[in-house]
Amino acid sequence: MRSIFILMSALIMLAICGPMFAPHDPTQINIPNRLSPPSAEWLLGTDALGRDILSRLLHGARWSLGLAFFISIIGLCIGTIAGLLAALGGRFVDWVVMRTTDTFLAFPDLVAAVVIAGVLGAGTGSLIFALTVTGWMRYARVARGIGLSLQTRGYVMQAQLVGLSPLSIARWHYLPSLLPSLTVVWTGMFARAILGISALGFLGFGVQPPMPEWGTMLLDARIHMRSTPLQMIWPGLAVVTCVLATT
Amino acid sequence: MIRVLASLCLRAVVVLTGAALATFALLWHAPGDPALAIALARYDSLVPADVVDQIRVEAGIDAGFWTAFQAWLSPLLTGDFGQSSVTGRDVWPELMTALSYTVPLALAGLLIGITLSVPLALLATRKAGSWLDRFAVGLASLGAAIPAYWLGLLLILLFAVQLGWLPAMGARTSAHLILPALTLGLGVAASLTRILRSGILEARGQSFLPALRRRGVAARDIERHHVAPHAAIPVLTVFGLELAFLLEGAVIVEVIFARPGLGSFLVDAIEARDFPKVQAVVILAAVLFVVVNLLIDLVYRGLDPRIGERDA
Repeated sequence: MRSIFILMSALIMLAICGPMFAPHDPTQINIPNRLSPPSAEWLLGTDALGRDILSRLLHGARWSLGLAFFISIIGLCIGTIAGLLAALGGRFVDWVVMRTTDTFLAFPDLVAAVVIAGVLGAGTGSLIFALTVTGWMRYARVARGIGLSLQTRGYVMQAQLVGLSPLSIARWHYLPSLLPSLTVVWTGMFARAILGISALGFLGFGVQPPMPEWGTMLLDARIHMRSTPLQMIWPGLAVVTCVLATT
Repeated sequence: MIRVLASLCLRAVVVLTGAALATFALLWHAPGDPALAIALARYDSLVPADVVDQIRVEAGIDAGFWTAFQAWLSPLLTGDFGQSSVTGRDVWPELMTALSYTVPLALAGLLIGITLSVPLALLATRKAGSWLDRFAVGLASLGAAIPAYWLGLLLILLFAVQLGWLPAMGARTSAHLILPALTLGLGVAASLTRILRSGILEARGQSFLPALRRRGVAARDIERHHVAPHAAIPVLTVFGLELAFLLEGAVIVEVIFARPGLGSFLVDAIEARDFPKVQAVVILAAVLFVVVNLLIDLVYRGLDPRIGERDA
C-alpha cells in the first residue's frame, strides 16, 4: 500500500516537474538540425523536425502520465459507484448494472478504444472518453463483490438498524474496506491507461501532433528507423519503465 | 446442468444484444453528417446537396435510430454484414479475406506463446525461488510491460533492418509471418508463464498431496492427476483474456507490419469512415469473445465440479 503510494507520487512528480528540466522547447522546429545524433547540446538527439527528443520525452511524461492518472481516476469513480449500486440497489439494479458491465467487457478493450477514439475523431477528448468507457468495469466488479460481502457483516447491519443514512454507511463502512482492493485495481488500470494512450497515439488516434506524447513520438520515429534507430528506443523505453514501475 | 446452460446462454444473448446496441449507438452519434461523409468518400470532391440527400435515403439514415438499427440488425442475424458505404461492395467477403491473414497470425502467436511458456513455467516451478524461477518471473513481468507496438518495432529493427534476415512488411510469403507472430507470441508467453507458474505452485501446495505421497502414489501420477488439472483452471480462466490480447495485439501488429488483416481492415475503415465495415469488425470481435467466454465457462464447470451451479 505504502510502496504503491510512494511510486505513484514519484511518477506524478515526474509528470509535474519533468518539463521543468527540459533543456529545449519540445515543439521548437529546427530543420538544419534534423535527425542529429545524441550530443552535448541534444542529449538524445533530435527528431525529423529537429526537435529535441529529451525535451519531448520529458514533456510527453505530462501527457502520458497525467492523462493516465486522470483516466484511471474517472474509471475508479464510475466503477465504484456502479459496483456499489449493484451491491446495494436490490436484485433488479444488480442485474442491470452487471449485464451492462458484461456488455462493455464483451469487446476486447483496446479494439473498442481504437474504434471509439477513431470514430469520434482524433483528439485528447475522444482519447479520454474512449479509455474511460473501456476501463471502469473491473472496478465495478471488485466493488460489487466487496459490497455484497460487507452487507452481511454485523457492524454494517447494525449501522443500518441504528438508522444511519446509506450515504454515511457507504462513506464510513464501505469505503475503508474497499480502498485497499480498489488501489490494487487502480495501479493495474493506470498501467493499462499508459499503454492505451501510447497505443492510440501510435495508431494516430490519440494526442495530436505537435504535442509530444510517447506513442505519437514512436509513430514519427518509425519512419526514420533506418537512419536513426536510436530515436525509436527512447519513447518505448519510457513507456516500459513507467508500466514496470506501477506493476 | 440444463438450467445452468440455459441461463449462461441467455446471458450471452443479452450481452450480445447490448453490444450490438452500443456499437450502433456509437456510430450513429458519431460527429459529422454520415451521408456527407459517404458522398465525399465516394466522389472525392464537393457534392451537391441533392446527392447527399439521396445517399441519406439510400443508407436509411433518415429513418431514425430504431428503424435504422433494425434494418442493420435483422440481416446481421442471418450473417449479412451489409455493404461498404464507400465502395458499395459486400463487407463479408472482404472481412473473410482479412480474417484469412489474421487467424494464422493469431494461431501462430498462440502456439509460440504456449511452446515458450509451458517449459519455462515447468522449469521455474521445479524449485520456487531459484534463479531460474526469478528469471522466469522477471521475464514475464517485463514481457507484460512491453507494448506490442514497441516490441514489433524493435524486432523489425533487429531482424529486418540490422541483420536483414527476415522480411518486415507485407504478407507475401510465410516468412512474413515470423516477425509478427513472434511479437504476438512473446506477449502471450509472458502472461501465460506467470499464470501457469502461480497455478502450478498453488496446486502443489494442496494439503492432500502429502497424504497421497505417503500412501505411496507415484510422483508422476500425482503430477498428472492432481497437480495438472488444478493448475489448468486458472489458465483456462485467463484464456478469454488471452484471446482479447491476441485480437488487440493483431490489430496493432498488423498495422506495424503492414499486414492486410483484420487490424489494417479496421483502421482503414475508421479512417475512411466506412461504418458498416467498422460495425462488422466490432460485432465479430464481440461475438467471438462472448462465445469463447461461454465455452470457457462450460469447460470450467466440467473441470472443476466445485463451481457447479453456484453462480449461474
